[in-house]
Amino acid sequence: MNTESWGLELSPEEIRLKNLPSKVTRVPKIEKKMDIVTIAEGLLYIVGDDGLKLEQLAATLERSEEETLGILSVIRQRYDSPDHGMELVSYAGKYKFVSKREIYPYAQRLYHNFKPETLSQSALETLAIIAYKQPVTRIEIEELRGVGCEVMLRKLQARNLIKEAGRSEAPGRPILYEVTDEFLDSFELVSLEELPELPSYEEDEAKDLYE
Amino acid sequence: MPFEAKTLQFEGPLDLMLHLISEHKLDILDLDMDVLADQYLSYLQQMEEKHLEIESEYLVELATLIEYKSKKLLPKREGAEEEEEDPKDVLVRRLLEYQRYKEAASELYEAYQSRQALFSRPPGDAEDYGEEKDRLEGNPYDLLKAMSKVLKRVQLSKPIETNWTKREISLEDRELQLKVRLREMPEDFTLEQYLSDVKDSYEFVVSFLAILDLAKEHVLVFTVDEEERIWFRRGVDYEH
Repeated sequence: MNTESWGLELSPEEIRLKNLPSKVTRVPKIEKKMDIVTIAEGLLYIVGDDGLKLEQLAATLERSEEETLGILSVIRQRYDSPDHGMELVSYAGKYKFVSKREIYPYAQRLYHNFKPETLSQSALETLAIIAYKQPVTRIEIEELRGVGCEVMLRKLQARNLIKEAGRSEAPGRPILYEVTDEFLDSFELVSLEELPELPSYEEDEAKDLYE
Repeated sequence: MPFEAKTLQFEGPLDLMLHLISEHKLDILDLDMDVLADQYLSYLQQMEEKHLEIESEYLVELATLIEYKSKKLLPKREGAEEEEEDPKDVLVRRLLEYQRYKEAASELYEAYQSRQALFSRPPGDAEDYGEEKDRLEGNPYDLLKAMSKVLKRVQLSKPIETNWTKREISLEDRELQLKVRLREMPEDFTLEQYLSDVKDSYEFVVSFLAILDLAKEHVLVFTVDEEERIWFRRGVDYEH
């Protein structure tokens, strides 16, 4: 049977083996030293959406964090090429593989009833206030928004976007809230420092008003 | 009146005010409170006509606006309330602050939507890497073992429970019971017959003590025959 007709191409190694005298049936496997970048890539595949922290990966590879950062940037560049359908992201300080944005329309086609999760305007406003001012109490959020937020806070907690962060020293020791790693991930943030600056709205002029 | 559960399409009174300010092209930094108050009130009235529920937060702010308006109608007392901050400034500051977060929220939403287009996979089977996790470990056999333990415990707890009820039968009560039973007995009867209602050793002991008492009180008398069977008969002090 002609191998070519199957559309298979023999690798150079196989061609080499083919030409060997038929007596030699066993060829010692050529041990190829696994590249450290490749190992990191495999690890990132295993952890899936849990992701890996820089420290975790560095400790696993027994490399310094600087070196590990270099390894990660090699992977990132490798996957940036259009040859790959995935890319390396680092949200909430965790590196993970995600499918590329270009895949999304096809994913929607694949999963007909796929519906992206939504967040209401009030949920977003509440999250914005917590993210920029954390840790904050419910009262502080309500003063800013001018509406009650108790139910919304519970909903956001249930979705693991915010969490309780101890209690304020204010009278009644109200609960303080802050955003979670899940929040950072959901908003493509490495850390809170990455939040876009709050729009200022001629704050200085506004200040003049009540001075 | 048709039932309407829908509420205002705004995120709150501040959101509504911002909407009115932009709709009527008011200068937020030099806010015309009269126009704002009138527009705010007429909006709420429209909502009411449409049978929309108006949340209390809207009414609180309405009260503030009306208070501001009414204060302006009164002649100013010189230097009386100089130190108090102008409620207009307070409102403007709140509106500006709220607007900042509203803008920030819409920026966040863009990031949120963008993230929704990226998918990741759940982690592989290699569990418990890195951070320790509280996982439930076990197999069907563990479950089976646990279940049989539970069953054993239930069995063990049963005698304890029954003992409990037995303890409640006091010597006095048992004496009374035996006196009643005595009425149904034939003239001569054996211990076995008399104590046929006894279910365990504890009851037997109590019954035996009760019988001794009853014998002492001459309610019944007993004899033991050659085959060591105990026979009873009603005593002299037995009444009915």
